[in-house]
Amino acid sequence: MLLEQIINGITLGSIYAIVALGFTLVFGVLGIINMAHGEIFMIGAFIGVLITSVLGLPLWIAFIAAIGVTVILGYMLERIALRPLRGKQGVSHLAPLISTIGVSILLENLSHHIFGAGNHPFRHSFAQIQFQVGSITIYLVQILIFVISITLMVVLSYWLSKTKAGKALRATAENLETASLLGVNTKRTITTTVIIASALGGIAGILVGMAFNSVNPQMGLSMGLKGLAIIILGGMGNVKGAMAGGLLLGLAETMIVAYGDSGYRDAVAFITIIFILLLRPQGIFGKNTAEAGR
Amino acid sequence: MVLELKNITKNFGGISALTDVSFKINEGEIFGLIGPNGAGKTTLFNVITNMFSPTSGEISFLGEKISGLKPHKITDKGICRTFQNIRLFSQMSVLENVLVGGHCRSKSGVINSVLRTKSQRKEETNSLEAALELLELVGLSKFQNSTAENLAYGQQRRLEIARALASNPKLLLLDEPAAGMNETETEGLFDLIKKVQKRGVTVLLIEHDMPFVMKLCDRITVLNFGKKLAEGTPAEIQNNQEVIEAYLGAEEDDEIA
Amino acid sequence: MLGDIINPYHLQIVSFILINIILGISIYITLSSGQLSLGNAGFMGIGAYTSALLTINFDLPIFLGIILGAVVAGVFGILIGIPALRLSGVYLAIATLGFGEVIRVIFVNWESITQGSIGLSGIPHLGRELFKTFKLTGFDPDMLGLKNNQFIYLLVVLILLLVNILLVWFFIRQNKSRVGRAFAAIKMDEKAAESMGINITYYKVLSFTQGAILAGFAGALYAHVMAYISPADFAYHRAIDILIFSIFGGSELIWGAIFGATFMTILPEALRFISDYRYMIYGVILIAMMAFRPQGIIDVPLLKWFKKSLKLKRGVSHGIGTKKYN
Repeated sequence: MLLEQIINGITLGSIYAIVALGFTLVFGVLGIINMAHGEIFMIGAFIGVLITSVLGLPLWIAFIAAIGVTVILGYMLERIALRPLRGKQGVSHLAPLISTIGVSILLENLSHHIFGAGNHPFRHSFAQIQFQVGSITIYLVQILIFVISITLMVVLSYWLSKTKAGKALRATAENLETASLLGVNTKRTITTTVIIASALGGIAGILVGMAFNSVNPQMGLSMGLKGLAIIILGGMGNVKGAMAGGLLLGLAETMIVAYGDSGYRDAVAFITIIFILLLRPQGIFGKNTAEAGR
Repeated sequence: MVLELKNITKNFGGISALTDVSFKINEGEIFGLIGPNGAGKTTLFNVITNMFSPTSGEISFLGEKISGLKPHKITDKGICRTFQNIRLFSQMSVLENVLVGGHCRSKSGVINSVLRTKSQRKEETNSLEAALELLELVGLSKFQNSTAENLAYGQQRRLEIARALASNPKLLLLDEPAAGMNETETEGLFDLIKKVQKRGVTVLLIEHDMPFVMKLCDRITVLNFGKKLAEGTPAEIQNNQEVIEAYLGAEEDDEIA
Repeated sequence: MLGDIINPYHLQIVSFILINIILGISIYITLSSGQLSLGNAGFMGIGAYTSALLTINFDLPIFLGIILGAVVAGVFGILIGIPALRLSGVYLAIATLGFGEVIRVIFVNWESITQGSIGLSGIPHLGRELFKTFKLTGFDPDMLGLKNNQFIYLLVVLILLLVNILLVWFFIRQNKSRVGRAFAAIKMDEKAAESMGINITYYKVLSFTQGAILAGFAGALYAHVMAYISPADFAYHRAIDILIFSIFGGSELIWGAIFGATFMTILPEALRFISDYRYMIYGVILIAMMAFRPQGIIDVPLLKWFKKSLKLKRGVSHGIGTKKYN
């Protein structure tokens, strides 16, 4: 049913959007791509598995635990892999990227050893609840994911534009030095940004568990690359773009699986990356700055 | 006539960096380009070398239109420049910097270079000789193996000039070569530019050091807010009322006692 | 007696080292013009599958298959390298990573040609085919005191060694020439290089394509040494391996890639117990390297010190292609 596929696409897209938001926040403020973001998301999902399936605790505890763990991971990432690189002279702009690649493979392998490869079931009480609207079946989970997703985006947008901390973040994103000179505690702002981004990753991880009922350590890499595709599609550093891009990718992938060759599902994201970077490097919503691409 | 600019205009978004600038440079001249900060002088250099293209207008070099050419082609045609904020290849040696400057005057490709064919070896020898001669000219011979970033500031400026000369230009664009130099260094620079002129190179010079400019240049164009304000010999420019006002601000009619 | 010291297992490790050196050089050469390409695993796969399929399906002689593998990879290199000009730094790295993944997905899904995830087996083995030729001349490894398989592995190592020596010679020569100077200038300041008359389009695509050809070449060799390939051999982990060779070993010099490839191939073998935790260690290495020594282990000062202590003449790194000057 086309409508059901669209709903599936929106659900998937909502999750993608949240992951993309994490990427875009960090890129906007630090100007770097955090290649470990996907792995942080994956660990969030596994914490969810641990809490719900292994310990049998309710879902909301899973959310809290996942957010807690990913926040700590994010903090450590910033402290160990990113901050030391900030002050140094002559460090190429590729160094932070490579450093986060290091974190990502470290985390991926770590989970492999702790959790083991393969799928781990994610059980929760909501999974079976569904509604019938006409001839379409909608699951409560799908509605929940969509609502959480939209709420996060709205809250984030509001926070960025209306609160003092949010404005500090945007100032730091524009120009680190100037923001610092104007009294913004840039160190704290940067740490806050990475933490929020990581928390978003953790939340997305739980949502994926809820949506698909299983998680595996390979998810991180796949999600990482897709998150990249989304922010490139939507425009790096652009919150609206991340949301729009996420939904678009979710829909595109769902359609390919439903009506095309499902094996090529993952390729959609990668091909998108390549085409957008070549045709419109600033993305759909991005500004046409000289930095985009060149 | 070596270089001719016709009605060059350059807009960035809503900002007009250059408006309707025209002038000609004759062969063998040392031509000065002056104006208050932000007048558009470096932008003009960037347009001439096509780091970005003009919004409208034409540039001719030795009778040929060069407005659309890629920067490396323009260098190949015979225009080379130095940079206001010194853009040397910092990790390369002094000698290597100059060798790179001469890139477009040689042509060995991968195969010739790897096989070290006779023509390639001859080219390398010639490039080396030319580079050493230029280092001699700017007085940096004994630093030839030093890393470029370790040179003193004034030496780095001279290295940039040597590098630019390595491409055998007919027109040399110097962007504030005397910036940050003391009196002795500035005198040395004066002599150097005169020597360059004697080699048959035409020079277009951006500078803020007024005595230096007035002593050195044959003719001068003044820019202000992207527009050409005046053009003429140093004497004419020094006595031009508008130029004086642009630099010093308009005179008050009423004096406060 | 020779037969006592030649251990086929060690020889196979040496073979891997030699193939990895070529891969390390492939990423080094694109880095030398300032481009970080994370797609060399994809080019490697293209070279491997091209050569494997041509030799299996059309009975092409191995050396021809390998050459064609490298050429096809090179063609893709040009196709990707030209649009890649618009990108730099992070954007280029991501785009090339995406390309590598697209290639892998194609290998997995184009089952009619590539057999998909099952992989291709029965690829003609470099050593064994050469051994057959030797046998035709009446030669018997017994004459050297070697068993058949020792001789076969030895042949592979010798061929790879020869190839390596040739390639290293080639790129050292290229480095010390006008081309090498152009690459370095572009890497240090692209706009300034362009203003000095360097055609950056040409040189960047050249460097990118050379990297692709090398990776494809290594891939083809890999196919004929392993006799079996699958899409998983050319996935993200491979791209990370290649990255580590150069970043850890030393990204500024070809010796860095050689050292990095050697060290990183031997390490998991020598320390078997850590082999399971390999990628965790790689992760820590990448993080630590960027924080403490971003240029990698082997850098220009270290090389100079090394040469001095061996009392070799100090040369200008991008110097002159004549004997007259150092």
